[in-house]
Amino acid sequence: MSSGSGTTIRSLLLLSAVGFVGAAATYFVEGPARFWANWLVWMVFGIAVGLGCLFIVALEHQVQSVWSVPLRRVPERLSSLALWVTPLVLAALLCLPVLYPWARPEGASVPAIVLKSAWLNTPFFIIRTVACVALWFVAYRLVVKRSFEQDRSRDPMITVCLRRHAPLVLAIFALTLTTVAFDWISSLEPVWYSDIFGVYLFAGTFLSGLAATTLGTLYLYNRGRLPGVTEDHLYNLGGFLFAFTVFWGYIAFAQYMLMWYGDMPEEVFWFKQRTTGGWLALALILGIGHFFVPFLALVSRKAKISPKRLRWVSLWILAFMLVDLYWLIFPAVGAKVRLGWPELSFALLFLPLGLLAARAAMAKGEDTPVGDPFLQEGLEFRL
Amino acid sequence: MPEAPFGVLAVYPTAQALLDAIPGIKARGFSNLEAYTPFPVHGLEEALGLKKSRLGTLVFIMAALGAVSAFLFEWWTSVVDYPLVIGGKPLNSWQAFVPVMFEVTVLFATFTAGLAMLFLFNKLPFFGSPILGSKAIRRTTKDRFGLLIMPVEGVLDVEAASAALLETGGSEVEVLAAPDSTPPGLGWWFKTLSGITAACVVTGFGTAWAIKIYPTIPPMVHMEVQPRLDAQKADSFFADGHGMQLPPVGTVARGYMPLLAKSPEEAGKELINPLPVTPAVLQKGRDLFNYHCAVCHDRLGTGKPWLTSAYTAKPANLQASTYRKVPDGYIYYVISEGKGAMPSYAADLSANDRWAIVDYVRALQRSQHAKPEDVQ
Repeated sequence: MSSGSGTTIRSLLLLSAVGFVGAAATYFVEGPARFWANWLVWMVFGIAVGLGCLFIVALEHQVQSVWSVPLRRVPERLSSLALWVTPLVLAALLCLPVLYPWARPEGASVPAIVLKSAWLNTPFFIIRTVACVALWFVAYRLVVKRSFEQDRSRDPMITVCLRRHAPLVLAIFALTLTTVAFDWISSLEPVWYSDIFGVYLFAGTFLSGLAATTLGTLYLYNRGRLPGVTEDHLYNLGGFLFAFTVFWGYIAFAQYMLMWYGDMPEEVFWFKQRTTGGWLALALILGIGHFFVPFLALVSRKAKISPKRLRWVSLWILAFMLVDLYWLIFPAVGAKVRLGWPELSFALLFLPLGLLAARAAMAKGEDTPVGDPFLQEGLEFRL
Repeated sequence: MPEAPFGVLAVYPTAQALLDAIPGIKARGFSNLEAYTPFPVHGLEEALGLKKSRLGTLVFIMAALGAVSAFLFEWWTSVVDYPLVIGGKPLNSWQAFVPVMFEVTVLFATFTAGLAMLFLFNKLPFFGSPILGSKAIRRTTKDRFGLLIMPVEGVLDVEAASAALLETGGSEVEVLAAPDSTPPGLGWWFKTLSGITAACVVTGFGTAWAIKIYPTIPPMVHMEVQPRLDAQKADSFFADGHGMQLPPVGTVARGYMPLLAKSPEEAGKELINPLPVTPAVLQKGRDLFNYHCAVCHDRLGTGKPWLTSAYTAKPANLQASTYRKVPDGYIYYVISEGKGAMPSYAADLSANDRWAIVDYVRALQRSQHAKPEDVQ
């Protein structure tokens, strides 16, 4: 087993090394713009999965939910991905003059950008990014870290303490995720306005976190490492995935329809760019793949308790989070849909690393929060 | 052979006793079972072998039908039956249809769920199950767990069923007679419908009577009741008995001086442009020209704008020599009264606005026919 897993780790690292070579080649062959656009897609994807899991943990404490206590260790473990991503975020600060018009000298000549320059300027951007990164570490400490201590100490006061911290973490989550949405994605086209954009990224983030939690839960469940967890628990996860698929569709369509109706030049150009040429095909694929397919796949009661169905739908949702980010970010750097060896290289670089990070995270602590006083009550949960 | 009873009912002391009894009863060949419990019991559905409800499928189909019919109806109203261009959008704007489609989908789904549950699956109208007349009903809504054995294909061995219930720990066995299933006769329909009618009549007249006896008391009336003469109402104040009087002959509202000229040519002779040509006036004229005139006359006044291809009228080319030679009053008259297909703009533009446009048209004409000395 250990030698087998050693081989897996080595081959994953090898794949990642191949991806690294490809990514480095992208920088010199295809130019820095394409390199950083790819970087941004994977960076935000990592933030979405990690922060999504952190949000699930904080939400569970906030609403004092009991059914989810036996499953809570999975999002707690995977929320450390948000911390693993922080080097990528800090490194991405190098791309400001490459990708962001407001960070270049010519930005000063566009009145709409000058209007936003109080927010969109390089020093403040760096301050915000560093603050976000620091706040993620604080949030992790506040709502996740002590839960691992509880495995040994079995101190019920830790649960009380975590529940008290939850509102603060939710506030941190809301502020930092909105900042990520506005700073890293929306300001690629700084003329564009969309107040709802933070909520749009939140919908994708929560969905990614749920999908990752579901995959982690099924990983343990299928290996019998979650004794006492039943189909009723899976049903709730499936229900959440279903509900927030609808939420994503609702927010995505609301944003689109209001801008389409208003037809204001500073808003609608963003959608015009993303719904013409090859981007239209991608937009349609996104609408069908991110909304209709998971909706129909999860609509029945049987589907929400079937581990097989939940697994492929979760993988599908994560894949479409990537498609979503590609559709959000790439039109800002190139007029045409470009999907080639650079994108493959980045997938090869970051997917194995992400899997290794998730694997390392999944080894942390007990499989269930054994010290939580509500564990037994959570295991007894039935629909 | 006598008609089979509705079923044989017994009560069990605990939920677990009920769950334990069911397999034994099934083993004795009774498959049509129903349980009555004071609260939901886990595992009961599986133990009874209840089939999955078909309601979900039905709701899904009807919801899809709702979405499709809403789309078709919106498409028909806005493309076929009453095509109106709104906000420059295409007639078939699916984006605008989606909110209504969503609402109709929800409407169809909820109505189907509610009505199908009542009428198709619970078989209404049905005036009470025999279980409501049983002795056990008092306890099964409180602290006992009832199990009912019902006939399979109209056959039920009452003796064997009672024995099965007793042997598996049940008590207070009772046989429930089948409900009267004959369809209601003419008399029933007469009584029911006349009862409903009587109720409506009594309520209607009662309400009308109550409003008469107890008039509604408005909380405050000082907006509604004012010492003033209302338009279109009779009043004894004036000799002719009308509340509203016509203005004296020849009255002119401030800022609405009527045109006295009868033709553009006459206006050209009589009217003098009162506005000086200043940058402010030209700026205002340009804005107003671009809002109101440019859509037909083009931003340069050439009469060849983007809309001419859509309809057959030919807007005047203001750069033509005819229009460069006409006096200011001529153009002012055309803006005020319209010409050919062009409507009057008097309602949209005040006298000063119209003169500002005239000044701007002059500037446009000069800009396109500049002489060398204009540049110096």
